[in-house]
Amino acid sequence: MIVESRIDDLLSLIGKKLTIDQLEDTLFLIKAEVEKVEGNIIEIEVNPDRQDMLSTEGIARAVRSFLRLETGLWDYPVKKSGKQILVKPGLSKIRPFICCSIIKGVPADDELIKEYMHLQDALTSTHGRNRKKASIGLYVYDDLQFPVIYGPQKPEKIKFKPLGYEFDMDGPTIMTDHEKGVEFGPIIQHHKKWPLLYDSSDQVLSLPPIINSNDLGRMTTETKNLFVEVTGTHLLTVHQALNIITASLAERGGKIESVTVVYPDGSTEETPNFKPEKTSLSIEDIVTLIGLDLTGEQIVEALERMGYGTKLSKTNQVQVLIPKVRMDILHAVDIIEDIAIGYGFDNLEPAMPQTMTSGKVNSVTRIKNKVRDLMVGIGYHEVMNYVMTSPEILNDKMLRDQPMITTENPKSRNYSVLRNSLLPILLEFASQNQHADYPQRIFEVGDIAIPDESMETRVNQVPSVCGLVTDVKVNITKLMSEIGFLLRNLGLDDRFEFESIVSTDFIDGRAARIVIDGEPWGTFGEVSPKILSNFGIGYPVVGFEIIMPRSTDWID
Amino acid sequence: MSEQLTEGERDVLRELLNLGQRVPTSQLATNLNQGEERVISILNSLASRDLVQIHTREIVSYALTDEGKEYAESGLPEVILFDGVKKLGGKASFDDAAASSGLDQKTKGIAMNWARRNGWLQISKEDNTTVLRVLVDTPESEVADVLVRLSMGKESVPKTDSLKLSLERKLVSEIVTKKFEAEIVGSKIGEAEHLLSVGVKGIGDLTPEILTSGTWKEESFRPYNVDIVPAYSNYGKKHPYAEFNDWLREIMIGLGFTEWFGPYVETEFWGHDTLFVPQDHVSREVQDQFRVGAPFDHGDIPDRKYYKAVKAVHENGGNTGSKGWDWPYSEEVATRLCLRPHTTPVSMRYLYEHREGPQKMFIIDRNFRSETLSARHAQEFNQCEGIIMDKGLTLRDLVGYLTSICNAVGIEKLKFKPGQFPFTEPSVETFGKHQKLGWIELGGSGIFRPEVTRPLGITDTVLAWGIGSGRLYMAAMGINDIRELYSRDLNWLRRSHFITR
Repeated sequence: MIVESRIDDLLSLIGKKLTIDQLEDTLFLIKAEVEKVEGNIIEIEVNPDRQDMLSTEGIARAVRSFLRLETGLWDYPVKKSGKQILVKPGLSKIRPFICCSIIKGVPADDELIKEYMHLQDALTSTHGRNRKKASIGLYVYDDLQFPVIYGPQKPEKIKFKPLGYEFDMDGPTIMTDHEKGVEFGPIIQHHKKWPLLYDSSDQVLSLPPIINSNDLGRMTTETKNLFVEVTGTHLLTVHQALNIITASLAERGGKIESVTVVYPDGSTEETPNFKPEKTSLSIEDIVTLIGLDLTGEQIVEALERMGYGTKLSKTNQVQVLIPKVRMDILHAVDIIEDIAIGYGFDNLEPAMPQTMTSGKVNSVTRIKNKVRDLMVGIGYHEVMNYVMTSPEILNDKMLRDQPMITTENPKSRNYSVLRNSLLPILLEFASQNQHADYPQRIFEVGDIAIPDESMETRVNQVPSVCGLVTDVKVNITKLMSEIGFLLRNLGLDDRFEFESIVSTDFIDGRAARIVIDGEPWGTFGEVSPKILSNFGIGYPVVGFEIIMPRSTDWID
Repeated sequence: MSEQLTEGERDVLRELLNLGQRVPTSQLATNLNQGEERVISILNSLASRDLVQIHTREIVSYALTDEGKEYAESGLPEVILFDGVKKLGGKASFDDAAASSGLDQKTKGIAMNWARRNGWLQISKEDNTTVLRVLVDTPESEVADVLVRLSMGKESVPKTDSLKLSLERKLVSEIVTKKFEAEIVGSKIGEAEHLLSVGVKGIGDLTPEILTSGTWKEESFRPYNVDIVPAYSNYGKKHPYAEFNDWLREIMIGLGFTEWFGPYVETEFWGHDTLFVPQDHVSREVQDQFRVGAPFDHGDIPDRKYYKAVKAVHENGGNTGSKGWDWPYSEEVATRLCLRPHTTPVSMRYLYEHREGPQKMFIIDRNFRSETLSARHAQEFNQCEGIIMDKGLTLRDLVGYLTSICNAVGIEKLKFKPGQFPFTEPSVETFGKHQKLGWIELGGSGIFRPEVTRPLGITDTVLAWGIGSGRLYMAAMGINDIRELYSRDLNWLRRSHFITR
């Protein structure tokens, strides 16, 4: 995910003059990468686990700690506002959760407003899973009459001016006529009633997770005080999204106030909640995983550079307070990684482990390599093609009707199915190389995928070898002696035979099946002129394809 | 040097005598039905006997470069930009004009620069935006004329300023070819005739009869021209990228790793679930990963006990000490078929069968991502995947292994960045220095999370990595277009070679 920041703004939030190189090196060590610098604009790529760094403020906070300008727990003071959010019954199967905050004294200029909107978008699309799990709304606090009500409403009874429009629309119209309705409608459309957020004087704030009101949900440069709400289907995600956006606004100098959410069963929750979670780690576990002989003090220092609160206890344990804007801490190993980052990846000396095992090549690779060596010995040139190809090449041009593994969502039809045979692939290759010197003798050894319902993943994936010769004149007798050489050197002397067949691949009377131990394993012949013309090939072609065993069937 | 002429020298000298004048070597080659290179090399040997004189002529011709070809086809960028501004009413911001004419980041700067230098557009700053204004009715470009002429197959163009400009802009390249002509040195005609009149003496082909009879003892051998550079020829050989992968395999086996296999088509259970990738993660969406839709779209769960353990980890962390994803786990998603987006499922299949340490496994094989083919991305790529399972392994050991693999293929400059993958913690991204591209990402790695190993009953540490073997090949060999790995150009393949220390 890319965060676009103004360099002067970012540096002033960090509170230290850094050159672009220094900034880039620092970011690199805390998981972020500079993608582009143009004038005063810097594009920074942030890893998806660090949702807390999805804004200029978040990045500045991480850099500030890492550079030891301000270490220790990322904490935010919260004052109780006494305001309430009333949740009406009937939302539990639709979009049950809401968390809100008030931020007073937020600076707002055009650039900042754009950045706040960007953070809101980035958070809801990734962490909020495209608004399914959580969506965010920002409103002008001073225009609202508390308590604010969150309840279900019949679509046709919903009526307000959606953002960007100067006239009222009802619920169903928003879904068909408003771009956000079209995009996000499917999240709630199938419900009989939709979630609606309105205040005590019946002004609509928004239709979550679709669109805000044009009257209350539009932040301008005049806006000083903000009301933020996050609704969603997963309480933890809703809390985390609220914390991240609230903290970002507080980093700009806003003062946070909390509100009380009252659920239909009478239970209440005070949000936002920045009370850090406590856990403890054993120093031994940390040292064992990172491989560095760190002291308790060094561990504490590393954690404090990463925004954690810490305390050393006498029993070789570190008490850790996890900042509430981090949503990626699921397990002790997540904290240990942060210790390694806080210590500095640039300080990690590579070590060579003593794990003693003997290496071995896979038996299928061995037979593939044997076949490749023999093919080169006969005088064929190895080529390598994509496994993905098109139904035209596999079936249409080949006059075949073979089943093939087909993808649902190809970017292009040319790469939409998995090859089920190599002969069509090499014919396609030959068709593209008619300008190259003749004779052309090419081969490929590679896997093909054949649909098979009896397999775990419904595919029988087998290695195959295909050889092809094209020239002004081709000689099938020579090809036959080459195939004989190949099979005999695979230990199959006296075990193979050729049986003439009729096949659309080849010219009648010039086609045969390759039978090994009584089983068909391949075919060869002179390619039919109909197929050559389908591929646009102007020279005659002889070729063969032999499936190879995935097991060691051929070896006595 | 032998007194006698060789067979080849006799042919060439005889032909020169017959023609009796100065002739291009290409004509000699045609007359003698020989390669021109061979004829030239024979002429050189005759010249060293002062029998023949060789004259060199340089011929200059011109050809379009790739950039020139592009512009010849779609028009010069400055013309496109000019037309764009004109279409927008004769005045437009630089960004709008560039966007509406479809100029990319790279070419839009070139376009503005030349449109200004040609005096077609006026450029000014208004409110911090660059504004362009049309100054002429139609842009007339002599450079465009040069490009069109060359694109129609004409190699000779008048030496004008516009040609000079096209060369400076690297739209056209100059090709200098050397032509040779030869003649017999006037005073040596007699000597040449004499040399030719003397019959060929000595043994040509050494036959079994000559060997048996021993007549070779009395006779001399006819000399052959053995100091000729041979012509290009095509025999069987391996694909250079395949050879690189063979080399990589050799390195992995040398480090004690066992090669394993896993299928291209996977269930999402192996592809993602066992790796603790949440079921609603973006990497599973249709824009990132290929879903298999036909003839079958769902597969089997082979082991219910393991399935239950994985399900518990996703829903609440199971017995791994993790919080899990706190989200319902779906069997429908687990059995969905996809093309594997990485080789890590192969590591899981290996660990499933080998739960006792120590273990070291690798695979070098194809993976699939729903990408559009470009210089940096392909819908298919090879990954060199490796895992090590043992007691007491550390992050430093992981960095150590990555360093030794990269060093082994000749990449000396490396740096490591903390990374993020759902299945490893800590996670490390490896960057290697590419001759032309600078630092490029080679692959991801890390220590498998407990959520990944504990459901299999594994408590040992598992280090894991997936290095893009294509990226490694590019960095090691200095290649800068990923499409070269699967080049379909037989001429290119025939000329290419793979060689290493």
